Amino acid sequence: MDQIQNTYKVISNEKLCQQFWCLSFDAPDLLKEVKPGQFVHIRSNEGLEPFFRRPFSVYRAQRYVEIFYEAKGPGTRLLAAKTKGDPLDVLGPLGTPFVLPSLDIKQVVMIAGGIGVAPMLILSDILKKRKLDLVLLYGGRTRAHVYPMKEFKDNGVKVHIATDDGSVGVKGRVSDLFEKVKFNSHDTFIYTCGPNPMMKAVQDFALKNNIKGQAACEEIMACGLGACLGCSILTKHGYKTVCHDGPAFDLDDVILH
Amino acid sequence: MPNLSIKIGNTTFKNPVTVASGTFGHAEKYFNLEEVKKLGAIVPKTVTLLPQVGNPPVRIWETPSGMINAIGIENPGIDVFIEKKLPSFKKIGVPLIVSVLGHNPEQFVSIIEKLNSQDGIAAIELNLSCPNLGHKTLMAQDAKATEALLKKVTSISKFPVIAKLSPNVTDISEIAQGAEAGGADAVSLINTLTAMAIDIRTRKSRIGNFTGGLSGPAIRPVAVAMVHKVYQAVKIPIIGMGGIAKAEDALEFIIAGATMVATGTINFVNPRASLEVLEGITAYMKEQKISDIKDLIGCLQK
Repeated sequence: MDQIQNTYKVISNEKLCQQFWCLSFDAPDLLKEVKPGQFVHIRSNEGLEPFFRRPFSVYRAQRYVEIFYEAKGPGTRLLAAKTKGDPLDVLGPLGTPFVLPSLDIKQVVMIAGGIGVAPMLILSDILKKRKLDLVLLYGGRTRAHVYPMKEFKDNGVKVHIATDDGSVGVKGRVSDLFEKVKFNSHDTFIYTCGPNPMMKAVQDFALKNNIKGQAACEEIMACGLGACLGCSILTKHGYKTVCHDGPAFDLDDVILH
Repeated sequence: MPNLSIKIGNTTFKNPVTVASGTFGHAEKYFNLEEVKKLGAIVPKTVTLLPQVGNPPVRIWETPSGMINAIGIENPGIDVFIEKKLPSFKKIGVPLIVSVLGHNPEQFVSIIEKLNSQDGIAAIELNLSCPNLGHKTLMAQDAKATEALLKKVTSISKFPVIAKLSPNVTDISEIAQGAEAGGADAVSLINTLTAMAIDIRTRKSRIGNFTGGLSGPAIRPVAVAMVHKVYQAVKIPIIGMGGIAKAEDALEFIIAGATMVATGTINFVNPRASLEVLEGITAYMKEQKISDIKDLIGCLQK
């Protein structure tokens, strides 16, 4: 790849629900390259505050590249202020994508918490072309955190929801939804993304039931290119960078806490 | 076109812009090679004698105009570096400054002996100043130890030797003088400042290694002052670094006395920063009608 840093134009930047935003930008070159689980590294301002770029999973790559985010810190709040036509400084696509399920897999279960749902939509956009049973188990804090379930259903995904306060779906955690699905060790594949304790519960369940899968991990990131080694996490094969070796790691390799 | 070439030891560099070790990584393939070829030199991440796995996460923390890091010199060790990394770095075709770290003088010597069997290395930088390895004191906190080490290393190294100094000292010029007395061909400064950030909810350090090193534009004025101080104390060239984000920053270092300048932490935010610095220095020289960069070095007016 010759040029990984580019400036693109913002196409739209909308608040989709009480908590989540979606920003789309026009990047035909990225569109062709990006794979589910990869991310883009965005500089939200020209100054030095905040200092780091911010990594975002690609949420969709159809006509435009889209990211899904929660405006909660200094970087994401600046991002939320972007409007149509604004330039956007982007590095990407970066990272190792999800592996796609092998041909003997019949059922794919996506298990996501909160903003961790972001890489699952682009994944279902790809997987819907194959004859697979697609399931999403999604956990959010409240009704305000439940989005974008319609898009998943349009992709033929069976959706089960849990919220902390019971305002939508089952009251409880994502792990309370495991019983909704018939997992088979030989033909089910799991993808998970969300808070570490949630992914740890998914990992424990998957390992116990001998189900293969991958987790999309998150860590504070500086370069996003595998240069600074700042975002390393522990795997059975030693420290690996989330930005370059990941974000997608095998559930039987990554060590979650 | 102004003359930007400078010398360190007997080695000539076509321009004074390089990158700070640890910020160019071993991730050579991620950089646009045609652009990287324009730099005066490149400096890969510090290599140790034996492989090091690095420190436990969390390894970095964002701070005002900068960051704290405690990576812990994660690297594959000198043998793997020579076998696997060195050929690809050499292929880029830019003078290569290899940054090395020994946990004692004997390790430094072993590393130098291994590198002596190689060619295509422009200089060796001794990292005497990494604050994240659990050493009670750094080599670069002791002028006598610095001098003794440099004597050992320069007596065997077939390449020019640069001593990378720490700002975590009472008087950095004394350490620079120690390096010069030991035969160093240049000094580079500054490494990171020991730093800490605390999560007030858990009341724990934000950094897995407890403390780390502060870098980025936040430390630039400290670095400029230290370059200025060292420039008055030694005759050997200074490679100035510490928070350089743009050409104007780099020019401050050159005017203060730096012969060469390096972008560091900013590379993580703007991968083109070093090239923009080079373009900006050239433009400044044209605008100021300065035909040779040497006329700028240490030209600070009183």
